[in-house]
Amino acid sequence: MSMIVDEQLATNFYFDKNFNSQAVKLLPGEYYVTDKDIMLVTVLGSCVAACIRDCYSGIGGMNHFMLPDGGGDAGSPLNASARYGTYAMEILINQLLKLGARRSNLEAKVFGGGNVLDGLTVANVGQRNADFVLRFLQTEKIRIVAQDLVDIFPRKVYFFPKNSRVMVKKLRNVRNTTISLRESDYRQRLHRVDSGGDVELFS
Amino acid sequence: MVKTILAVDDSASIRQMVTFTLKGAGYEVIQAVDGQDALDKANYHQVNLVLTDINMPRMDGLKLLELLRKLANYKNIPILILTTESGDEMKAKGRAAGATGWLVKPFDPKRLLEVIGKVIG
Repeated sequence: MSMIVDEQLATNFYFDKNFNSQAVKLLPGEYYVTDKDIMLVTVLGSCVAACIRDCYSGIGGMNHFMLPDGGGDAGSPLNASARYGTYAMEILINQLLKLGARRSNLEAKVFGGGNVLDGLTVANVGQRNADFVLRFLQTEKIRIVAQDLVDIFPRKVYFFPKNSRVMVKKLRNVRNTTISLRESDYRQRLHRVDSGGDVELFS
Repeated sequence: MVKTILAVDDSASIRQMVTFTLKGAGYEVIQAVDGQDALDKANYHQVNLVLTDINMPRMDGLKLLELLRKLANYKNIPILILTTESGDEMKAKGRAAGATGWLVKPFDPKRLLEVIGKVIG
């Protein structure tokens, strides 16, 4: 079976009057990389976002993802959840390298993983996402220069790759269900990801 | 006799997962962190199969493929690509350069072993 949920390039561009900046808004399952002086924005519940940049060139990007549930032995390095998370991170890093970033120059700021979704069957979804992203970056030897993870509030993250600045607003009074509905929808789509990508033999 | 696979990826996480999968199935694994490292190791060790990523620093997987196919002892060795790249254009380049097969990440351990079994079984 083919992969049902691919990580998608974010396409929601706008001009942010408050920051007087071109901006790209990322939804769950999306990523964006740039060498331009623009702002990347996302709102996180239990999902995590890695903001990764080349600390010399300023080429940077962000993703927004969560791990799907289990998929076999949760403790195994091969469980479907870890393989999907690794894939989501690799997509972002590969796109940065394609733009000219150097792997050895990469540094990361990571956010999200709040335990904010109601009605989840798996406990501590946010914690699990946060643990994964920290472990992945440690394995890849990508320096973590800032983090704001777990807790119980959604966050709005503004990332300026060119100068590394990040602003995080904790959303203590969320009046609608948009964040949890978007994440629940994404999570449902991830439920159907139980296999790898396409395979083709040429000979 | 135990078969040896050269596993090439710049991501330590992927190298760990691939190595865990292959060793669990009884293969010997030599790891390389990019195309240049793989080429050096391929010159030093004779392996039964090469499994390589595409996007890597120093030397990418397509260049590695091209250079390996010029070596007499790697002309007929299966070379599988394991990559996030799923576009037809990139696949066509891989095929033209002599790839044996193309697997798109995230990889499924069972299917990876099935494919490897098919080509070096």
